[in-house]
Amino acid sequence: MVKTRRAGVRSGARSEAVAGWLFITPAVAHTLVFMAAPAVGALLLSFSQWDMTSAPTWAGLDNYRAVLFDRDLYPDFLVAVRVTAYYALLAVPASLLTGFVQAYLIDAVRRGQGVFRLAFYLPMITAEAAVAAIWKWLYDPQFGLINGLLGVFGAEGPDWLGEPAMVVPALALIAAWQSGTAMIIFLAGLKGIPRNLYEAAEVDGARRRDQLLRITIPLLRPTTFYLVITGVIGALQVFGLVYVLFGRDIGGPESAGLTYVLQLYVTGFRDGEMGAASAMSFLLFAVTIMVTALQFRLLRREPA
Amino acid sequence: MKVTPALALSVLALVAVSCGDTGGSATSQAATVDFWYYQPTPQQADKVKRLAKDFETANPGLKIKLTEIPKDDYNTKIATALNGGNGPDAGYLDQPQMARFAGGRQIAAVPARTIDESAYYEGALETNRVSGTLYGVPLQQTTVVLFYNKDYVQTPPATWDQLVAESERVHRENPKVAGVALPKGDGFGAWIFPAFVASAGGTMVDENARKVTFNSPQGQEALGLWRTLLASSPRKITNTDQAFQKGLAAMTFSGPWDVLGIREQFPQLKFGTALLPKKLEDASTIGGENGVVFSTADNPDGAWKWLKFLSSADHNAEFADITGNFPVNRAAAAKSTLAGDQDMKIVIDQLQSARSRPALPEWIKVNDEFIAKAIEEGVDGGRSPAEALDTAAVRAAKALGW
Repeated sequence: MVKTRRAGVRSGARSEAVAGWLFITPAVAHTLVFMAAPAVGALLLSFSQWDMTSAPTWAGLDNYRAVLFDRDLYPDFLVAVRVTAYYALLAVPASLLTGFVQAYLIDAVRRGQGVFRLAFYLPMITAEAAVAAIWKWLYDPQFGLINGLLGVFGAEGPDWLGEPAMVVPALALIAAWQSGTAMIIFLAGLKGIPRNLYEAAEVDGARRRDQLLRITIPLLRPTTFYLVITGVIGALQVFGLVYVLFGRDIGGPESAGLTYVLQLYVTGFRDGEMGAASAMSFLLFAVTIMVTALQFRLLRREPA
Repeated sequence: MKVTPALALSVLALVAVSCGDTGGSATSQAATVDFWYYQPTPQQADKVKRLAKDFETANPGLKIKLTEIPKDDYNTKIATALNGGNGPDAGYLDQPQMARFAGGRQIAAVPARTIDESAYYEGALETNRVSGTLYGVPLQQTTVVLFYNKDYVQTPPATWDQLVAESERVHRENPKVAGVALPKGDGFGAWIFPAFVASAGGTMVDENARKVTFNSPQGQEALGLWRTLLASSPRKITNTDQAFQKGLAAMTFSGPWDVLGIREQFPQLKFGTALLPKKLEDASTIGGENGVVFSTADNPDGAWKWLKFLSSADHNAEFADITGNFPVNRAAAAKSTLAGDQDMKIVIDQLQSARSRPALPEWIKVNDEFIAKAIEEGVDGGRSPAEALDTAAVRAAKALGW
């Protein structure tokens, strides 16, 4: 009796497991067909030479060696690495800061939070090409709104996208403007901080500034950590914006805006070197994992 | 509700049905020619459709299926489609792509006696030849001439010295106006650069000797000219969108597409065209599209007929007019609506001295990456033209395997 009962339970569990697997089959199939298989294909390609027209030929580690060390064939590879690192260094803190300030202010207003949230999130849902087109116009050295405004105050603005030194800061400014995701997540983080902590602090006579520095920011640590990780990963992969912004002048003046993925794209699709492009993508993958692991080590530790 | 495998299966079946093949996918008929070309404006597309109708009327039993692809994505899309086995029968191919596709055996050689070679402008025809074999039919061509703003320049400069003097004079008299909207260190600038090298009497490569030659003294002179011009043509002025069109640059180097574009969009601009200023000889660069038949074509005969139709004396002018380019067929050129046009006459003259790019599969990389970088460094950057070109030449030789 007991035995049959248990068997019944087990067969029930098994049929549920089968059902579960069947339910996730579409997702699994999607992952396998559209993510895993192309990734394996790209890994194989990274060890081959392929121009998309003739059959691939095995090349061993040649692609990796050439990309990393041959400055004649890939003169801008290190430039792209530098540009991307510099961009991540500027853009991630900038967008975190604006995201936090926006969230903090929205959290403080009593009415119309929804309106502000929507307004600050809009840049995120605007198509990347449209964003680039708008900023291209804002940054125009002759007719741009930004230099026009500076002109009102008697200052002469730079040629934002034309002077190599200004390019990455100009890109970071766009990233700071597009900080809607950070804002939403910070806002959720702020809502998650128990109000009684602030009330207790107020009773103890803490000023707003102390509350911000000693309660809000420390308690937002997990949120900030998450945003830094995802922000860095996103910054390492920036492509669409710079692709549209510089048009046929790929990478802008002196390749000052040649981001890693843009370089990868032109190598693969313009120069027809799919093998080298695949190698670049796996190098980026490796670096992303390393950077993320490093951040986990350094940032995740609880404050002493 | 109890979750059972049966329920899960039925959900799965539903998903499969809804995202699967909806059926009715057209099985390609043997008599259809699938033709890919750059996406034109809607008005232009209508005219191309009318041309296709004319062709179908003249060739009963053949149907043209036109597929429009945005220009920037074209090369990627075509390569991907061919690899997936879904390529069209025929399509455009940008001149510098010919060598790559021919090398990969993805385009078919032109069958003997398909076309009369002498009917075409030589420069345009030669862009179809890879290692001595003809792989396509020229469809339209373009070149680069000097554009000048009549408000600032009365007599267009004919020589390099006059060009520099004129640029300096304009910028001195009008500090807010650049002398020349100078090409930048990108693929487009690198495409124009050989015109100046050739004018100084130089060449880009010596294919027979397998030697890169653009870093010769002539190449250095050409880049040096641009560097000199930059002093009276600040990028801060010309970096604005369409600086010449807006009257912020007195001169620029551009092609017939801008003649039409300026007339349509900037009718107030009083501009003229002239041959590119020369040092030793007249020279320019050539661009344009060829028509090719892919090796995987289902209907190669129909495809060649269509390409022949597009490049024929009767229809090539119309086809080139539609896209703002120039006919490749000599007889058609006379019939072009642009033939009587003063600016287009300049273009015709300039085409006589236009040189085609080296037919090498790696040339796109050499052009867009190495030469473009040399322009950037040798004109805008801190290196001398000689140094910048030497570096580019070493890199080019390596990429070409020479």
